[in-house]
Amino acid sequence: MTLDEPRRPDPDALLAEARREGRGRLKVFLGMSPGVGKTYEMLQAAQRRKAEGADVVVGIAETHGRAETEAVLAGLEILPRKSIDYRDRAMPEFDIDAALARRPGLLLVDEYAHSNVPGSRHPKRWQDVQELVAAGIDVWTTLNVQHLESLVDVVWKITGARQRETVPDQVLNSADDIEVIDITPAEIRQRLTEGKVYVPETARLASENFFKTENLTALRELALRRAAQTVDQQLQGAMRLAGVEGPWAAGERILVLVGPDGMASTLARAGRRLADTMDASWTVAHVERPNRAPPTAMAAAMLSDALKMAEQLGGSTVSLTGDDLVGAILDYAARNHVTQIVIGKPRGGRWREAMGLSLSSALIQRASGVALHVLTDEPEAPSARRAKPAPRAAGAWRGHAAAIAMVAVSGAVAALLERIAPGANLAMVFLLSVLASAIAYGLWPAVTAAALSAFVYNFFFLEPRLTFFIGHGADVITFLVFFMVAMTTGWLAGRVRDQARDASQRASAVAALLAASRRMSAAATQDEASRALAEQLAAATGGRAAVFLPSQGDIAPAAASPDMPVFSTPDMAAARWAWERGETAGAGTGTLPNASWTFHPLQSLKARAGVAAIEPRAQGGDDERFVLALIDQGAVALERAELAADAADAEALRRTDRLRSALLNSISHDLRTPLATVLGSATTLIDFGKSIDAKVQRDLLGAIKEEAERLNRYVGDLLDMTRLEGGALVTRKDWTDVRDVLRAALERVERRRGNRRLDTDFPRELTMIKADPGLLEQVLVNIMENAIAYSPDGSTIEAAAYEDRGNVVISIEDEGRGIPTAELENVFEKFRRMEESTDRGKGAGLGLAIAKGFIDAMGGRIAAASPIQDGRGTRILVSLPKDIPTPAILL
Amino acid sequence: MTASRPRILVVDDEPQIHRFIGPALDAAGYEPVRADDGASALREIARKPPDAVVLDLGLPDMDGKEVLVKARAFYAGPILILSARDRETEKIDALDLGADDYVEKPFGIGEFLARLRVALRHRLLKDGAEPVVTVGDLTIDMERRRITRAGEPVRLSPKEYDLLARLVAGGGRVITHRQLLTAVWGPAHVEDVQYLRVFVGQLRQKIEADPAAPKLIATEPGVGYRFND
Repeated sequence: MTLDEPRRPDPDALLAEARREGRGRLKVFLGMSPGVGKTYEMLQAAQRRKAEGADVVVGIAETHGRAETEAVLAGLEILPRKSIDYRDRAMPEFDIDAALARRPGLLLVDEYAHSNVPGSRHPKRWQDVQELVAAGIDVWTTLNVQHLESLVDVVWKITGARQRETVPDQVLNSADDIEVIDITPAEIRQRLTEGKVYVPETARLASENFFKTENLTALRELALRRAAQTVDQQLQGAMRLAGVEGPWAAGERILVLVGPDGMASTLARAGRRLADTMDASWTVAHVERPNRAPPTAMAAAMLSDALKMAEQLGGSTVSLTGDDLVGAILDYAARNHVTQIVIGKPRGGRWREAMGLSLSSALIQRASGVALHVLTDEPEAPSARRAKPAPRAAGAWRGHAAAIAMVAVSGAVAALLERIAPGANLAMVFLLSVLASAIAYGLWPAVTAAALSAFVYNFFFLEPRLTFFIGHGADVITFLVFFMVAMTTGWLAGRVRDQARDASQRASAVAALLAASRRMSAAATQDEASRALAEQLAAATGGRAAVFLPSQGDIAPAAASPDMPVFSTPDMAAARWAWERGETAGAGTGTLPNASWTFHPLQSLKARAGVAAIEPRAQGGDDERFVLALIDQGAVALERAELAADAADAEALRRTDRLRSALLNSISHDLRTPLATVLGSATTLIDFGKSIDAKVQRDLLGAIKEEAERLNRYVGDLLDMTRLEGGALVTRKDWTDVRDVLRAALERVERRRGNRRLDTDFPRELTMIKADPGLLEQVLVNIMENAIAYSPDGSTIEAAAYEDRGNVVISIEDEGRGIPTAELENVFEKFRRMEESTDRGKGAGLGLAIAKGFIDAMGGRIAAASPIQDGRGTRILVSLPKDIPTPAILL
Repeated sequence: MTASRPRILVVDDEPQIHRFIGPALDAAGYEPVRADDGASALREIARKPPDAVVLDLGLPDMDGKEVLVKARAFYAGPILILSARDRETEKIDALDLGADDYVEKPFGIGEFLARLRVALRHRLLKDGAEPVVTVGDLTIDMERRRITRAGEPVRLSPKEYDLLARLVAGGGRVITHRQLLTAVWGPAHVEDVQYLRVFVGQLRQKIEADPAAPKLIATEPGVGYRFND
């Protein structure tokens, strides 16, 4: 090979590296057991770093009163512990907020697997450490191998002690460095006897139990192997990043099958161990069988716990569906190139195995190219909560009573039949009651009915009567048939009823979700959407629910159902956590579990819309998924409402923009045209004054005067509009005779009317009104100028005034082209004018807008009607209220 | 006789504009013809081609540019645009579409008549095709591609010469950036106005008496350049 293309780094490895950026480095001092000197070693290393000038702070260090450890702690900065009240006692605990605020270069946090005092932010110290590392702080911590989640079973087998304080394996794998503190078992026993580990009495007990040489050897092997695995993974990661090509593992894939039973979590841990030794990817699967009765709540909880644990252990999980268990598994295995399948053999499976129904044998028969691991159930596994039978329904005795009653009826009917039709097969009558009980009440009442029927039939109807003696052997078959019918029918009926119940539950869930979705998508604003979501959540959980929305850089409750609760400080802290991190927090979660609510982030496509708060209920389970679906929909609805609000804002802005450009256009045209005339005429007069005759000169001077007036009018209009817009308009109401104002206005437009006729039609008596005469005159002038501008020369403009109930109405009509119906409602808008007019000698399109503004300010109304006659003409009506209705008696 | 007076068609929908342009043109020795909209203007140009057209861009019946394009199909005479200052792009578009020059409203009548004269004279020159242009002490010999200043030859690069020739051919009318770029650098460079800045600067260094206060090549900001002969 002469030209070798450089190897490209593995994209996944690059991604993982990118995710690391901005994070602190985590180093774990791993030991096989207590007393190997992890804390001591960590502190010594820290002293060395400090001597080199690093900013080292001890977040927490447990010396367990060991003198040599205390000694090595000297001189290091130690964060004060935070005191947390728990059951009336102040418990000193690691202060994560102080650590985050201090931001040291290197922070020591002893005992990775420690469980925090309830009331702390996280239940576990490793969660504190993860947060610190995520915040960019380098952390050193210590861990004993026995605390690793996947090794819990193994350690339990070795030592007989079960660890309660565990750390998910993933958390150790995420460590950047692992240092194994390794001493020989003999040495540690020596240290134990010297009292360097525990006080003497404890040390003796420990020596006999936990610290047996064989235990220590096994634990040592575990620790070394784990460290080796992690080192191996890091090496591979580095090679992938550098683009070095494998020898990669052959690509083993492990599928772990779990069911709703006590073995589920044991299987998940076994999967993790197998995956570690094989360096394989692993998936935990469970198969839902739609036509089987659903597992009890207890069993379902065990299953979901196991799945959650599998994810924590670093495996993926998948839920398969299919009535054919083996088929579903093998189908998935084939599609995903699974090479190893791990299953459990539950206890009590013997008779099924004998019948050839065992899962393992079925898998062996049908699978090919797959290695099968069968784990046997371990008796009394401490964590295995055995599923208790579901509590019998309270009304179960009713089924049996009804069965007894039915048998009694059958007996009566049989007795009757024996009289009427002797020789009939009376057993059939009893079979009927068995069938009826089975269908109506299920298996056990049917068995009761069968037993009772057998007795009654035997006692009363079979010879010899009134004894339980069975005369004919064939009658035994009758009884057997009773029972078989009872069992079969009862079982079938039970299944049918269960399925019907399931289906109706599912249907009602779907219906509820649909209704909720409809309700939320109908919400136009964020307020409505959050209220709808809170109500739906409250209805779904049967408890209280609230929705938090962002407000001024923080979040605040925006809606709640049924009423707005008071949120405590821990509640608000959890709410903020959910908002800032986008993780579920609060009660029942790994973060701030001392809050009394559970806070779900409302994560939509674009961003986080808010936080939903739900009060945890006594019983969890089935509707969890429904609640999560609701939360998802709520997030989408909120986002949609926000987008709608944004769109409305944008539309408002666009309108303002349009108005501004109309204003610019208007100023550009309406100011410049008169100016052009003035300037042009004036310069013509200056340049050619002598060579043009006197008549033309006068005309040019006239043009200058007219255009200057036009400019003045226009500036006046703009000023009026500014007064209106700026809210600076003051109306001075005075007793006004509308006719006087009309006459004044007519006079003002007189010069502009050309050959148009201005007619008036006033009544002899007209009630005075309270109005601002100046403003009203301007209104009427504007309307008349508009009428003049849009009507042909020689036409008539008619102004009239009359009373109409409580109002005085002014009407101004022209004989112009009229206004298209579509434009009628827009005529009072600013800068509105008829664009297609040939005569541009009109205002800025402000006249009617100003008229409307003034009339509004005076409490009147203005309207336009067009066409009014023969498809032509416009009528503007101004209606002003008579201020005080004068009683007729006083007139 | 009226035949000796150049006919000027004024197209504007503002009666007030006609009111003073008419008498001014008349007094200046032209024969004004009035049109109030695009359609009647086109009819008038077709009926009896005027010596020049003064065209307002804002017309009630059709866009002034549309009138321009339609008129250019059968009319080669000078067309002067009346425009507003805020309609910069419209104005440049009109120039690129074949208008000869523009006057911004409001304008003094002297400026308007000067522009009109330049446009009319250019049309006269075009027919005669003058090979040598002399402005002050600068002589441009179009036929021999030679330029002298006070008798001394001025050395120009080919592009500089092309640019100068195009400006001179404009005969005092504004030439838009686009027109200059197309003529000198080709249609692919119509957006590269910075070329013009550089080359006009170099030209001014070589031919202007005071390159800091150019008199020969005038800048029309945002529109183009004009050669004042």
